[in-house]
Amino acid sequence: MPSPPPPGAAVKVCFITVGATASFHLLIQSILEDEFLLALRRLDFTHLLIQFGKDGQSLWEAFQSRCPPGSEGRHGLEIDGFDFNQAGLDAEMRLTRASPSEGRTGGLIISHAGSGSILGALRLGVPLVVVPNPTLKDNHQEELAQELQKQGYVVASDYRGIASALDRAEGLRAQILAWPPVRGVSQRRQRTLEDVMSDELGFLD
Amino acid sequence: MESWLSWSSLFWAATFATVACLSTIIILMYALAKSQNSQVPQWRSRNTPIHLLVVLGSGGHTAEMFSMLRRMKLDPSKFTHRTYVVSSGDNFSATKAVEFETTDLSKKLNTNEKPASTGSYSIVTVPRARRVHQSFLTAPFSTIQSFWSCLLVLRGLHPDQQSLISSRLRSPYPDIILTNGPATAVCVILAARLLRLWFFLCGVFSVGRGTRPGKPAPSDSQLRTIFVESWARVKTLSLSGKLLLPFADRFLVQWSGLEGKKAWPGMRETEYVGPLVD
Repeated sequence: MPSPPPPGAAVKVCFITVGATASFHLLIQSILEDEFLLALRRLDFTHLLIQFGKDGQSLWEAFQSRCPPGSEGRHGLEIDGFDFNQAGLDAEMRLTRASPSEGRTGGLIISHAGSGSILGALRLGVPLVVVPNPTLKDNHQEELAQELQKQGYVVASDYRGIASALDRAEGLRAQILAWPPVRGVSQRRQRTLEDVMSDELGFLD
Repeated sequence: MESWLSWSSLFWAATFATVACLSTIIILMYALAKSQNSQVPQWRSRNTPIHLLVVLGSGGHTAEMFSMLRRMKLDPSKFTHRTYVVSSGDNFSATKAVEFETTDLSKKLNTNEKPASTGSYSIVTVPRARRVHQSFLTAPFSTIQSFWSCLLVLRGLHPDQQSLISSRLRSPYPDIILTNGPATAVCVILAARLLRLWFFLCGVFSVGRGTRPGKPAPSDSQLRTIFVESWARVKTLSLSGKLLLPFADRFLVQWSGLEGKKAWPGMRETEYVGPLVD
């Protein structure tokens, strides 16, 4: 049993989002298991915030009755959840960003492979674990997650291996890449959207 | 009478129908290839007003679209009129469009020193081709309804486009149609191509031109279509992408794995431009 965080220690937030459209019970289930919560604790996380989506309410309520706030089952973590925020998740995502004035150290985002949440996390420069939803049809999310992992932007993980993905994500923190990518010399000849629109407008040069 | 229904006449009728169908398809494929490989003549002067039509739809597509428009720093003094097409019931996209116009574009204005130059915008709602849970029996009718609505939008006749009349645009047709692949985009791009085909045929047979002075035909540099495949597509095209591959004038992809795809030999290839989102 790990000791509770020392008073005055920096807040370290892990934010998990499954998006608004599809439910992702498998991910919610695995992040509420002891293995994952212990791994968070071991990496000095203090807070876990879960956006569980429209169908995740029952899982969340089951967890709350199983492990009420302050119980052993929470392993000293502050755990909170909500279904969705119509105004977007920017505010929640920003909680994972380091902010010395607010006593926060850099946290982590775990996301379903929706492009909106991936881009949001990349823009913030916070380590991101992408978990494709295997229950979706026409699953192109897996390809996106693998490609972004190959290029060193994110950690891609299966929903079952989420606890071990945490360590890999901590490794990412030291070498986080800037987003959007800076255009290298080889990409200079690539056209921008502005260029393409100008072509199609047929401007007199 | 019997000779009418004889096997040989049936055979000839079938042969004729097949030949007619095949030649229509070949002519259409050839015309599409020819049109896709043509370039816009360069005769537009730099400071003419431009009408940009953006097709929005469903959360992810809309978010990506505004991300791209922000990153390219869309200049409201250049693209003087913006039309956002949203499908009915999609309040998210409509809200995002207003947000983009009122925060991002007017913020640009403050630094731009030209106060009256943001032009105007309109948000146009078209019916969905098929609602979730709608019966497949009625779906063809709603698709036609949706397509008709797209045609009205492109001709500037949709009731939501009142501000278009007051703006200084001389033609109701949008110059550029930009989309990143929601279902409505298929309707809008096909409608644009149909309009262009119609006016091309009118030009060939010299009818309709100049008969109605209030409604000039679109020029060659109008109704141009740009399809940007979603950033989320790394190795395979989306369904809208596959459908629109032969129809869009420019087909941009954001991952190298999709570069060089084309609908059939002789068609224009997809262009890899790297990530356009921010």
